Amino acid sequence: MTTAQELREKKQLHFDDVSVGQQLPPLIIGPLTATHMFRWSAAIENWHRIHYDQSFAIYHEGLPSVLGQGSWKQSILPRYLKDLCLPDGWPWKVSFQHRAMIVPGDTITVWATVTKKYEEEGLGFVDLDVGMRLAYDAESCPGKATIVLPIRGGRAIPYPFVPPKKLAGN
Amino acid sequence: MSQATPQGESALTPEVKGVIGATGEKIEASFPWGIEREGLRIFTQAIMDPDPRYWDEDFAKTTKFGGIITPPIYCTYLGRRQRPGTEDPVTRAFQENPNSDGIGGVRGPDEKGGLPNVPTSLKRILNAGNEIELRQYPKLGDRIYSQARYGDIKERVGKDGTRMLIVTTETTYTNQNGEVLCILRASQIRR
Repeated sequence: MTTAQELREKKQLHFDDVSVGQQLPPLIIGPLTATHMFRWSAAIENWHRIHYDQSFAIYHEGLPSVLGQGSWKQSILPRYLKDLCLPDGWPWKVSFQHRAMIVPGDTITVWATVTKKYEEEGLGFVDLDVGMRLAYDAESCPGKATIVLPIRGGRAIPYPFVPPKKLAGN
Repeated sequence: MSQATPQGESALTPEVKGVIGATGEKIEASFPWGIEREGLRIFTQAIMDPDPRYWDEDFAKTTKFGGIITPPIYCTYLGRRQRPGTEDPVTRAFQENPNSDGIGGVRGPDEKGGLPNVPTSLKRILNAGNEIELRQYPKLGDRIYSQARYGDIKERVGKDGTRMLIVTTETTYTNQNGEVLCILRASQIRR
């Protein structure tokens, strides 16, 4: 897990520093418990019982246990990309699908591998394969992302971020 | 049960094509008091993100964002919360069905901002994946608005010849100044 102090002092990852095939630092979360899942359900007012009522999940729905929420995974990937880009990069976009279920006891490794890097309008774009790997190597949330990293000596990444015309809509 | 379209007959009918681009009403996802600290604390702790940009005002002012921000997609969850003064949907759902799964009847139908139904006989719905595009982080006090549209509907033919539709709904979240914060593209398979 990342600490507040690490995020406060985060050193910038530059476009110049990444290369195709490079694995970026992972974020490890867990082991997750039913209480983590209940906390998320309460935070977003998702009252689906498969996420916090173990008897219902097992005996009514035939599931192995209560399940981690897709919406939680959907929030973790952008959070991970945000951390990678801090303090001055931008986690532009991420797409993903939901695959292996997350159940209590699982530890998750959120990961990213560089697949492409390119410049557009003086900004450094980095395409990534991303995902959330479970301890037994199952993939829970495979996807793709594009982040924008500062180029050494280059222009600042605009905020709010406006994608270059050539890339908008891709 | 799948309501598969007969082989050879396109599921992408003129009526289906006619809803591409259909846009729902712009609605306020946040409460009238906007984004506040306590909701932000609960949310960030639930995703286990201790980033001081979410809670340390002095530090946040020194960042490029100029103040406290929220997690990238926080605004996409605001519209799910029960609005004050409305009937308790949990109590109602379990009065109607003691075995409620917690979704059926609890989450009320979207009365505002909804899109027209896709006019198809394909009733089975599967999640085909999501895309999130980020432009700007919401800030404390921001009021958040959302507007949905059918961004695209495509036809796909399965290995067995069954035709299905891929329906992509694009929801754009903006702040009180009309600035785009993020765009959520959710794709569903209809088969």
